[in-house]
Amino acid sequence: MSKGEPIISVKDLKVQRGGAVVLEGVNLDIHEGDFVGLSGPNGSGKSTLLMTIIGELEPAGGSVKVYGAPPGSKASQGRIAWVSQAAAQLPTNLRISVRELVALGAMKPKRHEWLDEKDPMSRFPVLDFIDTVLLGSLSFFVFGALNLVGIGRKEEQARVEKAIKLVGLEDVAERDVNRLSGGQKQRAVVARGLATEADVLILDEPLAGVDRASRDEFLRLLDRLCREEGKTLLMVTHDQTAIHQCTHCAICIDGNVQFDDDHTSAPAVLQVESLSIGATYPASPWDEDAKEEA
Amino acid sequence: MGLGTGLHHLLNHPRFPVLETLGMLMPGEVFPAFFEMEMLQRALIASVLVTVVAGLFGSYLMLRNLSLIGDGLAHVSFGGVAVGVTLGSVAPLWYALLFSSVASIVIYELQSRDIVAGDTSIAIFLTGMLAFGLVVLRLFGQGITTDIEGYLFGSLVLIDTNSLDLIVTICLVALIGLAIFHRGLLAITVDSVAARVQGLPVHLIGLWFSLTVAWVVVSMVQVIGALLVTALLVTPAAAGQLVGKSFRGCMMWTQAFGLTSTLLGLFLSAELNTGSGSMIALVAAMLFAIVGLLKLLSSQLPTYDADPESNEAQG
Repeated sequence: MSKGEPIISVKDLKVQRGGAVVLEGVNLDIHEGDFVGLSGPNGSGKSTLLMTIIGELEPAGGSVKVYGAPPGSKASQGRIAWVSQAAAQLPTNLRISVRELVALGAMKPKRHEWLDEKDPMSRFPVLDFIDTVLLGSLSFFVFGALNLVGIGRKEEQARVEKAIKLVGLEDVAERDVNRLSGGQKQRAVVARGLATEADVLILDEPLAGVDRASRDEFLRLLDRLCREEGKTLLMVTHDQTAIHQCTHCAICIDGNVQFDDDHTSAPAVLQVESLSIGATYPASPWDEDAKEEA
Repeated sequence: MGLGTGLHHLLNHPRFPVLETLGMLMPGEVFPAFFEMEMLQRALIASVLVTVVAGLFGSYLMLRNLSLIGDGLAHVSFGGVAVGVTLGSVAPLWYALLFSSVASIVIYELQSRDIVAGDTSIAIFLTGMLAFGLVVLRLFGQGITTDIEGYLFGSLVLIDTNSLDLIVTICLVALIGLAIFHRGLLAITVDSVAARVQGLPVHLIGLWFSLTVAWVVVSMVQVIGALLVTALLVTPAAAGQLVGKSFRGCMMWTQAFGLTSTLLGLFLSAELNTGSGSMIALVAAMLFAIVGLLKLLSSQLPTYDADPESNEAQG
């Protein structure tokens, strides 16, 4: 695995929410092809960290760089995808087929690459505003109009079909997402992220509401995405089996993130356990899981 | 000549008099007049157009949990109409347009910036602007004979050529916008975080949507009445969502339910000589009740698709 510049680089990050410090002194580097599991007890700041990485929250101190630029800027736009927790995020009164859902990800307003992040524009807030907001909106408008008359739709459909095939939902592509099983539903949301053709997928507790058999299949899917499709994955999860699969894992305890940079996964998990003393884990949760399964 | 009169002329084209031809096929004693008399033709065109547009926007409103924003904006529009009437305007709808545009932008900004949570801002604006209109009407509107009640419960005779022009223009603008933005709108409705990360202009689409909904509500006020707009905005969409299996399917069903409500409502109101707005709203609610009941009965059968994965897990 080549270790060049990290794709996501978090340095001495401090994040506040509602006046309270949620994260402090967090350091994290994620390189291309990494499969990073992020774990920790409830309220430890996992989701806050994700939200900061995708630019939904502003850091109060330190820095977050995605592709060398602040999150949400043009340099990273379209290169990372957010995979939400299907069980909690999809509106329950929504009737939408798998294909329709995935197609939402395929929408790709053209980025104007001729203005890349290092350009002088970003130094002038007014110009940057014109560029990002006005030109961005205009390009979206033009994109919508072009799409309306059918330009670019073929390429988009191809991406949708590819994503559906990748997650193995071809057979249920026409079915209502809310009537699928938890595992299938989550795979559909992953397909939506894949359709954006992003290099990095950020997954927020994808295993919640997914039963055991589907969980293994889902983890195999993630593994395949990482190894065969070259995706970089960052996943928040409570599931210890899932952490076991990751190439790296980080653990949040009371706003601190301990990052394990070891490659082999088994010692990584052990190391996590030793780090998580004081957290609300049972002694060896995956053993109990195994017992339950038996 | 405005868009509305243009459309009206087109449908009455001497060579293809669409409306008159349809009128000959229509049942009832009074109802065919909607296809033959000029004044009622305008009412019919406005009702059908407004129903189609309201159904399309209603589906999104319902998903965004904004079902009551239509009601709120309608009250605001009524406040605007009251001010317009007091000032002696012949086209008070323009005042309604101004009032509800401002209200929708402020409501949206308050909500999206988390200044006021959820529908609280709707509640504040609903009552505030309505009260403003009523107070102005009381203070300065002595001796005004305009039928202000027509705006509350809908009055098809209020739809003159000016109103028709405004209604058709609003509907056209809304439809063009929706054609361009509909997928972006669905994307931010389903998952706004994913849409933002994807690079979609989430705030802009949300703002456009709020503003357009405000206009659509104004266009509906004369047809169905400020108190009843939700009947065409949300009820057909709610019924469609019970039947459809995909978003596109829901849209189709919504249109079917909406148009049935409007046409059947107009028919019944004409034949039974009742108010058109209230009859349309009543039919829409009845349709929803019937669909809901059928759905309830059919859900005695297993509705969830048998899932091979979980079966394996259990086995």
